[in-house]
Amino acid sequence: MNIGLDVGSTTAKIVHVEEREVIFSKVVPSHHWTELIDDGQDDRCIVSTGYFRKKVPHCAAITEITAASLGARYHNPETQVIIDIGGQDTKVIDLRSNTFVINDKCSAGTGAFLELAAHYFDIPVGSLGRLHSLATKGAQLNNTCGVFAISEMISQLVSGYSMEEVIYGLHQAFALKISQMVPSADTVMLIGGTVRNTGIIDAINNVLDSKIEVPGAPQLVNALGAALYRERLDDGR
Amino acid sequence: MNDTIGITALVPPELMYACGKRPLDVNNVVPVSSSSPSNKLCAWTAIWRDMILNGGLDIDSLVVVAGGDCHNALVDGQKAELSGMPTHYFFYPFDGDTDYLRSQLEKLVRFLGGIQDERMFSLISDLKAKGRALDELRVNDRARGSDVFSALISFSDLAGNPDIFGKTLDSVPRTDIRYSSRVALIGVPPIYPDFHETAEGFGLHVVYDELPYEFLRLGGSSLDSLASSYRDYSFAGPLKNRVRLIQDELLRRRVDGVIHYTQYACHHTLEDEIFRQHLDYPILTVQGDLPRPSTEQLKLRLEAFAEMLGVMS
Ligand code: SF4
Repeated sequence: MNIGLDVGSTTAKIVHVEEREVIFSKVVPSHHWTELIDDGQDDRCIVSTGYFRKKVPHCAAITEITAASLGARYHNPETQVIIDIGGQDTKVIDLRSNTFVINDKCSAGTGAFLELAAHYFDIPVGSLGRLHSLATKGAQLNNTCGVFAISEMISQLVSGYSMEEVIYGLHQAFALKISQMVPSADTVMLIGGTVRNTGIIDAINNVLDSKIEVPGAPQLVNALGAALYRERLDDGR
Repeated sequence: MNDTIGITALVPPELMYACGKRPLDVNNVVPVSSSSPSNKLCAWTAIWRDMILNGGLDIDSLVVVAGGDCHNALVDGQKAELSGMPTHYFFYPFDGDTDYLRSQLEKLVRFLGGIQDERMFSLISDLKAKGRALDELRVNDRARGSDVFSALISFSDLAGNPDIFGKTLDSVPRTDIRYSSRVALIGVPPIYPDFHETAEGFGLHVVYDELPYEFLRLGGSSLDSLASSYRDYSFAGPLKNRVRLIQDELLRRRVDGVIHYTQYACHHTLEDEIFRQHLDYPILTVQGDLPRPSTEQLKLRLEAFAEMLGVMS
């Protein structure tokens, strides 16, 4: 059995893979990561990834870039580009050229931006997608800085836009910000916990010309990739 | 003692020594600085500017390389001049015009007080040959990229003393090295003092440093030969020439990937797109701002790039 453990900034995930099939997975808040491996079996080889990859038990630690590449290819070997929207950063990986870019300077294209907006509206971040779907148009957000975007959203509410329209516009601005990092491609796969927000998928679909794919459990792709990396270790690669 | 002349970018060091002056590349003090300058765009120019204004750099006058290179330096150099520092402005021709460059070199010689010791030309030419041999050693895996870079980056001013610098070159450790991938470092030099060591920690052997190689590649023993060599200074000329030069070096040095270092608020950042279009290699672009030890963000990128080159290819 191959085990991948992804301990990121917000959540920790584990995936068990046997004969290239996922047989178990679990997600907990990051600081509870020990719960994922406290089943008394200390002699296993775990491949770790994520921010805390070197802080957790592992026989190999790989970056999220490599983990995402392996995990995305498992779902679709033809995928050309991956967009991994994390809590603190967003990574775009071009599998055709083995290149990647990471945005970790500006919060506007990361999960933290959506958290900030949800916090302002005092709603769970998980409800942003549903509210987005209730709007037929959006308020246009001009500010690409996460903090200033919030003050712009407040002005939009004052000028009469509904909360749903402001959220729609927020997702659109988020997608535009990310699209600046994305090369032109036929197929783009979205991964990371943030893409469980269907508003983000809709907005990215509107902004990019590519065919957008979202795997069944987008937040588990990196843990899955880490588990699959184990096969390469066994190959001696 | 000879006058010390600050230089803000490449000014033919053989000519400065021949004029009896000692060049000091003001950039060399930046990576080890811990200051956070106010009113800054690029930290390189802001830090040397502040050091000059505060009397923290022991120089008698300043040569600002402006034309064809850096406009931030042009402005910050003028601030130094307005504070009372004798300052000369040196312009490279964008179109490689030899006559223009020769006239610039003549003006520079006048500013420096005339040529006094022509032997310096051959002495420095020999040192550059030594530098190129050292560069070849790392291409042939016989020296660490970090050690070679530290030596080559000082070719802009020969560390203030060509004789001692020659001995420093001899003392660079010769050692067989192991690595997972060969990479080139293009763009302005990283402001992180431990960049090469950090890359080596992830198995990346830096076999080409673009700017220091310019210091070695160009030279001459008279105003005419200096003009016809330095007119090709790639950072000051058309990008297509620079791309061609880089392409040749990438091939010759058998690199697996390219790291493009960019500096916050530097116009060279805009070149990234062109390199990505014209260099057929995996490219990692990184950006630095203030001089600090390698950040975690930089380490993640280098580690991931090393994995990409090793595991994914
Ligand atoms: S990094 Fe760019 S802006 Fe800064 S000194 Fe060099 S050329 Fe000028």
